[in-house]
Amino acid sequence: MTAVDGVRPGAGGLRAAWRGGPARFALVLGGMILLVAAFRILTDFGVFPESWNIGLADPIDRARRWLITNQNSHWLYTVFLNPLTDTMDWAIRRLESLLKWLPWYCYPLFTGLGLWWTRGRIAGALGLAGVTLIGVLGLWNEAFATLALMGVAVLVSMAIGIPLGIAAWHSDAVARITRPTLDTMQTMPGFVYLIPFVLLFGFGRVPAMISTVIFALAPVVRLTEVGLRTVPQSTVEASEMFGATERQTLRLVRLPQARPAIFAGMNQTTMLAMSMVVIAAFIGAGGLGQVVLQAMRSINVGKASEAGIAIVVMAIILDRFSTGVATADPGDDLPAIRWLAVVTAVGAVAGGLAGLNEFPKALGWRFAPYVNSLTDWARDNLYDIGGSGIGTGPFSDFVTTQLVIPLRELLSSGIPWPAMIGIGVVLGLWARGPRLAVGIGAALAAIGLLGMWELSMDTLAQVLLAVAATLAVGVPVGIMSSHNDLLRTALRPVLDFFQTIPSFVLLVPVITLFHVGRIPGIIASVVYALPAAVHYTDLGLRRVPTETHEAAESFGATRAQRLRQVEMPLAAPELMVAVNQVIMLILAMVVIAGLVGGGGLGLEAVRGLRRSDAVGRGFEAGIAIVLLAAILDRLTRAVADRLRPPAAV
Amino acid sequence: MDTAMEAGSEASRVRVEGVWKVFGRRAAEARDMAEAGAGREEIREAVGSVVAVRDVTFQVSPGETFVVMGLSGSGKSTLVRCVSHLIEPTEGTVEVCGTELTQADSATLRDLRRRKMAMVFQHFGLFPHRTVVDNVAYGLEVQGIDRRERQERARELLETVGLEGWGDHHPQQLSGGMQQRVGLARALAVDPEVLFFDEPFSALDPLIRRDMQDELIELQMRLRRTLVFITHDFVEALKLADRIAIMNDGAFVQVGTPVEILTDPADDYVRAFTQDAPVVKVLQACSVMRPLEGTEVDHGWPKVSETTPLEAVLPHLLGSTDPVLVCDEQEAPVGLLHGDEVAGVISPDR
Repeated sequence: MTAVDGVRPGAGGLRAAWRGGPARFALVLGGMILLVAAFRILTDFGVFPESWNIGLADPIDRARRWLITNQNSHWLYTVFLNPLTDTMDWAIRRLESLLKWLPWYCYPLFTGLGLWWTRGRIAGALGLAGVTLIGVLGLWNEAFATLALMGVAVLVSMAIGIPLGIAAWHSDAVARITRPTLDTMQTMPGFVYLIPFVLLFGFGRVPAMISTVIFALAPVVRLTEVGLRTVPQSTVEASEMFGATERQTLRLVRLPQARPAIFAGMNQTTMLAMSMVVIAAFIGAGGLGQVVLQAMRSINVGKASEAGIAIVVMAIILDRFSTGVATADPGDDLPAIRWLAVVTAVGAVAGGLAGLNEFPKALGWRFAPYVNSLTDWARDNLYDIGGSGIGTGPFSDFVTTQLVIPLRELLSSGIPWPAMIGIGVVLGLWARGPRLAVGIGAALAAIGLLGMWELSMDTLAQVLLAVAATLAVGVPVGIMSSHNDLLRTALRPVLDFFQTIPSFVLLVPVITLFHVGRIPGIIASVVYALPAAVHYTDLGLRRVPTETHEAAESFGATRAQRLRQVEMPLAAPELMVAVNQVIMLILAMVVIAGLVGGGGLGLEAVRGLRRSDAVGRGFEAGIAIVLLAAILDRLTRAVADRLRPPAAV
Repeated sequence: MDTAMEAGSEASRVRVEGVWKVFGRRAAEARDMAEAGAGREEIREAVGSVVAVRDVTFQVSPGETFVVMGLSGSGKSTLVRCVSHLIEPTEGTVEVCGTELTQADSATLRDLRRRKMAMVFQHFGLFPHRTVVDNVAYGLEVQGIDRRERQERARELLETVGLEGWGDHHPQQLSGGMQQRVGLARALAVDPEVLFFDEPFSALDPLIRRDMQDELIELQMRLRRTLVFITHDFVEALKLADRIAIMNDGAFVQVGTPVEILTDPADDYVRAFTQDAPVVKVLQACSVMRPLEGTEVDHGWPKVSETTPLEAVLPHLLGSTDPVLVCDEQEAPVGLLHGDEVAGVISPDR
């Protein structure tokens, strides 16, 4: 008895409960509601006042006009930018003309052989068929344009990224600069990279390439550095003990062991470049992205699907090939592959000299008409099924009027803007501390001062709804998949597929069913982010050690109890990472959805890219997107850190 | 300690004098506290740095096996890294093969490492991206020896350690014991005068460990290199060592031959180790015998070889009052074992 008496919940226990989780969060929440109520009752603040707009758009528009008039006279252009532009344009052109010089049949053959070498016979056959399909759809030239732009961008990314990664590994000073820069770069939706380069270079492939390089650079730098850092110390010591110079150790021991990581970085960089090159159609990059973009503008879903499928095929081939290169082991097939490669190479040169470069027209076949009639059918029959008020149309209307608009109204005017900033600050304080709180407050105020308050709240409302929908579907599926290996195996290829295809392409099937507006954007972003939600939930739950499971089971916990009391709390940080990823993916997609009438910041940014008199506004919208991304990213990451159990001392 | 000094008076291969290693800032302060007798924890709390090695001095003669034995955290791994100069000692001098490492520039150090010394690591430190033969050839490659020659030499050495035919595998395809043989072959490939072993067998299971120890003893009898061997296993130390240094809290507690350590432990810390040691299994006739030095012998006395463990000698000694003759490989008598002396070594209250 005395022992029990000794354990009284004293002040320490209370304080612990106060610091930790739900109690404190409830308090924070209550405080926020009080804050909103107080502002609403006592003041007449509403939307961020338009008169406070600092008017950044005007100087940017002026700068744009100045740049256009001085493009051929000012030293900035004649000495620096124009030669740079010319060189890059030349490189892209050379690569494109080389690609076009080779005979058409060498592409399916080389792709097939490449995939056979890296992934086996079936992959090889599928690769051969895929590339042929692109030709059959009559998208040969567009595919080359995309491939050339991407090829140069990837080469430049490697040429910069690998040495930069080595430098970041070698020198902590460099790493201190690159790491936060790369972190920030990865949180920004790819789309916003286009804006400053359009401002500087105008439209065309060069600004597209530069923004692609910058967007795609991060993984190869980061993984080169990580790869070098994780080389086992014992092998480095062994090398040193044999009197190897630092250079020898780097070349013979460190780099070879970092190779898998560097290859992984190259794969990710390639995939990011692919998705960016497609989006860069917005600024005149041409290629397959351009076809999708134009077709979507004229609501020609069939044409957009064809180009979309070509993009997906290209992305999957590039992904399969680049993830397979590091571990390629064709075994007994190697001699056959070698022999066929030599034959194909000879045939390629011969065909090139003979001028067999055009994909034969006789092999052409289009499915656009079928898709278009399917779209028409869907519009006539699914949009409002039998006039019953059930269908995608009423669904869109319902979601728009009952969820999107009320939430937007609540965020933009229902909650007075000072209260909104207050909420941000309180959340920042709760999640991490004063620095984050000040940062969030300043970022929100800056959004207001840019005159982007309403548009940002519109975008935020869409993001929040999409996140809620994604998590509502993704987390349960993730939980199921973590308990069921069969389901997991079945889901794997689906998740892989959705993570490989460039975001932009997802809009195509969605507008088939839902037309334009906010809803297709939200649905596309849910589809886009769903794989990440499932994957990270599954991963987090699977990381819970078996022994912990067994311990809970040995105490007679039911499955539900185990999930609620053991697995979910232990996986909580991982789940928060899922939330973070989901939010960032959705934000990127919602912004692109501006193209299909998604409204909000995305629309403003798209307009800025399209119309030269709206560049200033587009720029402001771009900054607001970056600020919004930064707020959401830091906040969710801070919460994830809070949920992590204390590190061992 | 006297024997240690005598052994070092000849031209020693490794000479370590007053070596200190302090991790963290305020090294001088930490060192002063340590000199005044403060313990590791005390110093860490006061100045925030860790004194890993404190004032270690020893010498190793050519062909000698010098074993540093200590528990984890005693500073033995740090010590061997200071001696091989993988890390810079905070203070003190280290001399290997007559070259003072503390003052050497990086080119000299590199040259010394290429030609005179090599190291075998606890977790093998093999290169997973290279085949076994390319692992063994690494030291030669670094020296700039051409491919054919270094591969040939590497294959010879693989044969020496009993791994012929495994050259084209990758290290991770081999068992732990085989991997460490590769590590040993790699170290031997550069024909070093001094070999450092950093707990080379501790990652292996007990049976493999015993085999490896036996093979190392055999190899050492043939090659007669200078070995500095780190271990946390007292039995291993007794088995391999010409001399043992017992290390605790960064400092040497006692240095001596296995018999000296067993019969005359310096303090309770050392005694704790000696009490559980299976002395009769570990000690060999040669390490307990009294050298002949002209003493008359009777060839009717029982004979054993130098490497016979004491437990196999005991029946001879218990059966009669005669001493036992210890003979070398050529069957020539080299020493004598007397019952009372052996009893002194193996008795529990020695």
